[in-house]
Amino acid sequence: MAQRSMTQRRMMFAATGLWLCLGAVLLAFLWHISVGAKSVPLGTVWQALVAPEEGVFDHVIIRDLRLPRAIFAVTVGAALSVAGALMQGVTRNPLAEPGILGLLSGATFAVIIGIGWFGLAGTAYVPLFAALGALAGAAMVWGIAEAAPGGSTPLTLILAGAAVTAFLGSIQGAAILLNEDAFFNFRVWLSGTLAGRDMDTYRWALPWFVSGLVAALIIARQITALAMGEETAAGLGVNTTRIKAVALVSVVALTAASVAVAGPLGFVGLVIPHIVRLFVGSDYRLVVPFSAIVGSGYVLVVDIAARMVLAPIEVSTGIVTAMLGAPIFIWLVRAKL
Amino acid sequence: MSTRMITVEGFKGELALRLPVRALLVCGLLTLAICGVLTWSLVTGSYPLTTAEVWATLTGNAPSDTARTVVWEFRFPRTLVAFIVGAFLALSGAALQYVTRNPLADPSLVGVSQGAALVVVTVTVLAPSFGFYWRPVLAFAGALLVAALIQAIAASRRGGETLRFILTGIGVAALISSFTSTLLTYGDIDRAMSALGWLSGSIHAAGWGEVRWLFVTALICLPFVFTAARPLSALRFGEDVATSFGVRVRLARATLITLAVALAATAVAAVGPLGFVGLVAPHLARRLAHSGVGVHLALTALTGALITGAADLIGRAAFAPVQIPAGLVTSVIGVPIFVLLILRTQARSQL
Repeated sequence: MAQRSMTQRRMMFAATGLWLCLGAVLLAFLWHISVGAKSVPLGTVWQALVAPEEGVFDHVIIRDLRLPRAIFAVTVGAALSVAGALMQGVTRNPLAEPGILGLLSGATFAVIIGIGWFGLAGTAYVPLFAALGALAGAAMVWGIAEAAPGGSTPLTLILAGAAVTAFLGSIQGAAILLNEDAFFNFRVWLSGTLAGRDMDTYRWALPWFVSGLVAALIIARQITALAMGEETAAGLGVNTTRIKAVALVSVVALTAASVAVAGPLGFVGLVIPHIVRLFVGSDYRLVVPFSAIVGSGYVLVVDIAARMVLAPIEVSTGIVTAMLGAPIFIWLVRAKL
Repeated sequence: MSTRMITVEGFKGELALRLPVRALLVCGLLTLAICGVLTWSLVTGSYPLTTAEVWATLTGNAPSDTARTVVWEFRFPRTLVAFIVGAFLALSGAALQYVTRNPLADPSLVGVSQGAALVVVTVTVLAPSFGFYWRPVLAFAGALLVAALIQAIAASRRGGETLRFILTGIGVAALISSFTSTLLTYGDIDRAMSALGWLSGSIHAAGWGEVRWLFVTALICLPFVFTAARPLSALRFGEDVATSFGVRVRLARATLITLAVALAATAVAAVGPLGFVGLVAPHLARRLAHSGVGVHLALTALTGALITGAADLIGRAAFAPVQIPAGLVTSVIGVPIFVLLILRTQARSQL
């Protein structure tokens, strides 16, 4: 009986938290839209979203320029945070994240090479190439770390990630120098930004995002068991190989979607799951959805900061996420290793 | 395994050096290779010159004014800078590796290069009129600050463990790079572009000014580095053993880290952050010949000079007329060796 009321209380707690977080994200979403070169009052933003009128200038700005960017922020934040949460759970590595373990640089590299060498300008190919690149990057990092003496410890994974990132980064740098015209539009994208992407790219990235997120939610229960150790998970009747495979596919799809939309945004996937676990504990049925929501809010707020701090100049969103995320990385190295 | 040694005596037998023959041979070969790269570098470029013409120009009878300008003002200082910078980074990496007893230490991996880079970019973007000769001094200050920060963070819990040192360095490097990128977004576009080229480690803009300041740094630092060979060979066995040998460990550590930072910072101030030279050169040197610390340092410096000189040459010759910054070439060469080192290092035992 006491057990039951505990569960009920936790459910109540989680539900309240969920609504609070959703409310906060909605507020951040509206704030994100209202901020800009011309600031629009929140009331007008709400009006433009709920009952848009043709010909009202502010409504046109909001629907055509500001709304897409806010949607990108929500998607990218959710995708990267969930990917980070899955990676941390499956590898039992507190420092796992798409950026640190080489997925982001693999995806970016593949997109750059796909465009530069194969001339694939079509937006449909961008998430596909990003996915292949993320998979290859992950495979390289895992391969190196597994072959190292002691196997894939957090340390070898991170060193391998740093090596792969540096290697791909320099080849990519040379490729860009050799054909500057083709990559002119990608300079800003390379530092991770939500600016200047169109809805067309987003439409092609959306299926990847949705399938990755759904897969993550489905396997969340088994991830909780995996995070307690492989033997424990197997003992609890979890098919560890299958769950790991699904997790990999989900992480790759989520990374591909976010790279296609915003380029490499580092450290988001590292920070958010840790913050979420502080509040909801280690049950991944809660960690995954809360990571998605908190991550959306985080990237929205970061993007507001990126546009406001040095206004009228806009800093790349990726720079701000690195500034906020790197200290947390350092703290994690001190506290968890 | 016994190594054949040769003994060099001076001052009527009061000073004697026992040197391994193989290491001396390798030293000679490396010097020859460096001369080869120098020659090749002087004849290659968009203005073709033969070896004879280059020789004539260097000895003072240039075949034409253009030849003199091309060789004396562009190619010769640039190649010299590449060699000196390579030697500096290699020595810096070797000193860091000995002191931290960490085979993976490298000035660009532990954030020192990024600290210097942030300072130089700040000066380039915000105060471009600031004196040219102050740049290395400022870079040194920035790099020293970062090194101290990393030491403080990494050492404050459970002693200064080497691998946490590297991870902290990766984190600090990411943080500092984000500040540098912000400055680039903020700054004037022309200055930002010149800073951007510099950031990928390109030697093409180097001239006699850089040669001069690098030379001064070499005069100040190198004697210290080579006198430090003795405490370094004791430090290799750990702090306790070094103390029992009569080495003042804290002083030696602090001095050597400062020297390593000074060398790396000066190199970075001249050409930008060149990755992985400091990591790779000491290991290659050790493979080439077994020797004591002093000879190993000499071999390391030569190897570093050769790598960087070759990287610069490849970078400008491979895809001419486009110049690939030497930093990209050194990364492409360095990363596979880095991976090999990860595969060989007993990472777990050190954690």
